[in-house]
Amino acid sequence: MSPAVTTESKTTIKTKRRTTGTSRTRKATKPIDLLETKFAEALNTLNLAKPFAKSLYQTDVFQLANELACVDGGMVVLDKYAHQFDQAGVFLSGDWEDPTKLQPPFVGNSLRLRGIYSILELLSEMRMLSIAKGTYRHDSITKEAACAFLNEVVALNLDLLSPQETTEEADPPEEHLIRAHNLFTYLGQELSLKEVAEQMIIEIDRLAVQRPIITRRIAEMILLSKQLATSELDGNTLDALKKYTQAVEAPTPLSKEISNQREYRLRLEQATEEEIFVETKLFGQSMNETGLVSPFHAVLLRFLNRKNPDALPTALSLADTGRASFDESKKTIQDIIQFAIYPETKQSIYGLSGMLNRGVLKIDAIEHSIRQLFELPIHGEVRKALSTFVGEQSGISINGILIAGTISVLGQPLGIAQGQNPICQSARAISLWAQFEPGQLLNYITRAARDNTMEMIFEGESIHSNLLIDGTSNNIPLDLDIVSILLVPHLEKIYNEMIKRTLLRGEDAHKWVNREFYGEWIPSGFFNVIDGHTLSVKNYSAFIKMFYATHHPEYNEGSKLIYPNPVGIFLTNVHGELLGLHAVSIQRIESDHNGDYRIYFFNPNSDSTQNWGQNIKASVSGFGELEGESSLPFHEFVSRMYAYHYDPYEQGDTYMVEDHLVGKIEALAKESWGKNYMWT
Amino acid sequence: MHANHNQTTALLGWSLQAIEAIDKMSRPYVVVGPPEFQSFADKNEILFIPWQFNVSIEQSFELYEKLRELNVKVAVPIYEETVEWAGMMNSLLFENPKLYYKSLLLRDKGLMKRRAHLAGLRVGVFEEAYNKEDIVRFFKRMNQALVRLENDQLDPIHVKPFDKAGTVGHRMIREEKDIEEIEDEEFPLLMESHLEGQEFSCEAFIHDGKVRFLNITEYVKLGHSNFVPASPALEKWRPQIREEIEKLVVAFEVTHGIIHPEFFVTPDGKIYFGEVANRIPGGHIFEHIERAYGFSAYQGQVLCCDPDTSEQELSAFFPKEVISAKGHSGNLMVYPRVRSITRLDIPKELKNHPYFVKHNMFIPASSKVAERVGFGNHYGSINFFGEDAHEMRRLLEEFEQHNFYL
Repeated sequence: MSPAVTTESKTTIKTKRRTTGTSRTRKATKPIDLLETKFAEALNTLNLAKPFAKSLYQTDVFQLANELACVDGGMVVLDKYAHQFDQAGVFLSGDWEDPTKLQPPFVGNSLRLRGIYSILELLSEMRMLSIAKGTYRHDSITKEAACAFLNEVVALNLDLLSPQETTEEADPPEEHLIRAHNLFTYLGQELSLKEVAEQMIIEIDRLAVQRPIITRRIAEMILLSKQLATSELDGNTLDALKKYTQAVEAPTPLSKEISNQREYRLRLEQATEEEIFVETKLFGQSMNETGLVSPFHAVLLRFLNRKNPDALPTALSLADTGRASFDESKKTIQDIIQFAIYPETKQSIYGLSGMLNRGVLKIDAIEHSIRQLFELPIHGEVRKALSTFVGEQSGISINGILIAGTISVLGQPLGIAQGQNPICQSARAISLWAQFEPGQLLNYITRAARDNTMEMIFEGESIHSNLLIDGTSNNIPLDLDIVSILLVPHLEKIYNEMIKRTLLRGEDAHKWVNREFYGEWIPSGFFNVIDGHTLSVKNYSAFIKMFYATHHPEYNEGSKLIYPNPVGIFLTNVHGELLGLHAVSIQRIESDHNGDYRIYFFNPNSDSTQNWGQNIKASVSGFGELEGESSLPFHEFVSRMYAYHYDPYEQGDTYMVEDHLVGKIEALAKESWGKNYMWT
Repeated sequence: MHANHNQTTALLGWSLQAIEAIDKMSRPYVVVGPPEFQSFADKNEILFIPWQFNVSIEQSFELYEKLRELNVKVAVPIYEETVEWAGMMNSLLFENPKLYYKSLLLRDKGLMKRRAHLAGLRVGVFEEAYNKEDIVRFFKRMNQALVRLENDQLDPIHVKPFDKAGTVGHRMIREEKDIEEIEDEEFPLLMESHLEGQEFSCEAFIHDGKVRFLNITEYVKLGHSNFVPASPALEKWRPQIREEIEKLVVAFEVTHGIIHPEFFVTPDGKIYFGEVANRIPGGHIFEHIERAYGFSAYQGQVLCCDPDTSEQELSAFFPKEVISAKGHSGNLMVYPRVRSITRLDIPKELKNHPYFVKHNMFIPASSKVAERVGFGNHYGSINFFGEDAHEMRRLLEEFEQHNFYL
């Protein structure tokens, strides 16, 4: 054990140190080689340590990995050792330990953190790469799965592939971003761009098919995916990329010719009738296919509005109902375009199209309510909040912005989303009203815009939002649509106040609050599976049987769901672990093309295809979903539900529901969210 | 002393470094530590006794019973707070009550200084303080004794708790208003005159009352930087220092284990005793010893604590002091000077310096900087290794000035 180091060996160390040191006169070892040596040593030390002592040596590995990831050629070195990471214990006792638990959508966020977590995340991608390349064989992840994982990671974070912008004079990019860029550059070289592009299209398809009102994220992804459009791609992928790129940029012959909106308008002045027809047709088609709108589409609409209003229905891609509605309310629609349709509010063109096709204007007093918005005096606070939507140079008025937001919501009631905010109740409310109570919604909008308040009656007493202090913060971020920005602060306050008033009743507040908050049309029957006093799961089988007897077409004596049902679900992650409570609404229950009953629902969550574990994965297309709908097989959805409303006058017999159905659902529940509860 | 025939060594206090070191010695061991480590210990098959050391020592018999069940032979203290527990356990294991009372001497800075004084070591002037008035009086009397007049710069004094490790709770009193800042709960405190000179610590490995290995750690800036072995300028006093250590060993009747005293040496070679501890030193000193000399100081401690370790084992284990060192191992402990951390600045000159070994600084997940107690926990440390003590000192001084956390 005792080191018999003599003075001689001292001298050798001395000379060695000189050569590996900073002296640049002699062609010394390259810094990257020195780093590699240090890294290999640190990894080896970690490898030799017993599991309990690994944490003493992990830091050194992370530190050197950090250095490597920041320098040219460093990723190659990390790649060379990546197959040893698991064996050495690099990830031991941390969130990255088990790669089967990792999910591509979370990678981007981790990489964008400062500090140690982003380094671990980076090393985790390198481990995945070693599995994909076959240098490391993992028991439960195949080469193909690792490859798919990385393709998705790259597709979701293509912005990290482009070099960091160094704005003049500004600070240099931060270390963690340099690392992330180096990682993605390396992954870009190692992976097939073809597969990344394919994954990218899958992502864009998945988001676009849900037809959100806020399309910023989709537009960003399209912009990024442009750099992948090389000859390497196959025809279909290339076509899809082209379709999306054109949809947000220039989908028509004339718009391709010009470079800005002014030029486009001038070009339209000189266009032949035939040319105008082609433009009109193609803009409508592109919007219809993708749910995305080009800014030039707005220029065209404003042009047609003045010169050729009869071409508007085609430009708006209207179906029969829409055309009839257009003819009936032509003056109002023309005014809407004049007031509210600008390149900045281009997405509202899709909303306008949807609103007409849904026949919303035919409903009593709706047209009048919309007309009121044209000259509504707008409250100073609201003016401030809405003006952030457009640049100062824009010609659009605040009333125009408000109208644009309103038609988006009326035209895309399932395109409303909560963004990154815990406001699922409010988002669901706006969506429900936009579908079934547009008059009510317009009243709320008018009142909130003019008076900056909102009023609801709860058990005979009125609640004014501007008299309430509690509720969520007023800093609603910008990832919401215009109507949500306007209404959500009020809705959250009122909702919380209603909940507060029922706190001591010993039962789930939603029993009373939902009907008063959303509307009287919500059926009075209510079932919550969590006992209010003991907070344990009670009567689970009765809960399931009642739901089947009131909702499942084979057990409910043919009662149809007329209005959506606002239900409460347990949100679970990919491992089935409980994340929290969430509000969604059941839109309809029907059998799909396979004859299986599915629940079609609206999820205000911006990512409606989450994986809830136990192989329960909501889909947004392929099973007859309408725009903005998610769907799940009946029993899978039920296994995540904790509360629903039902109509006691329209129910089948609960004893007709087979026990094995209940057993199947109960097993799913008990092995997921049910682990967090006592069962009685 | 009785030799007992059991085999197991008990580490009192949870330290992964210490556990790893003893684990490599192929001798049975048990770790006694806070209950929160139970599941980790179970998972890693580390024999473990959950124990809270902040309970009254009256409960020690309960722990002793548990140790005896596991055939424990000797208890090794890891942290300051476990020193008297180790003393008590060894008293019971070796049926020698004096071991416990001796360990108490090392836990009370007032007692230990008196004992050192009696043994003929040079100590400053010191006294216990039970309230602020005591400190005011001591401060005044000290300066009176030094004939400091109204306009003269007053001589500072130091106050510190009797039983805290290192610099925890240490204050320097330069003027009367410094006394006002002391909270009533901090009392009692030990007051000491200020000692001039170079500060250093020793780590003496003692077996059978003999010093088997003496390391001298040079402090560059107390609580911030140090290196091992000390520079030739300090090592030249080694024979005198060794003499002082031997006086301590006799005075405190240390037969087995390590002691970690702190001294000051004046330019003319007068050595003043500061204090002494019976535990593993802080400031990464054990890591330095391992890097410089190639042996595990933790293992050295275990060997020395065990009366049955043979002469041969000891002489094979400990290398020759100073001349066998491969170089100087030093480190700089880094404290953020900002309230919240947004960026790290590790200068190129540091990374490219041939003495630079590694650092462990990251931008912490929580950017807010925790408040400091004593020197508290440093946020990061930088390790150096090199031949020349001068260059080592220069580096430590230079980078002590640098703001690593921005």
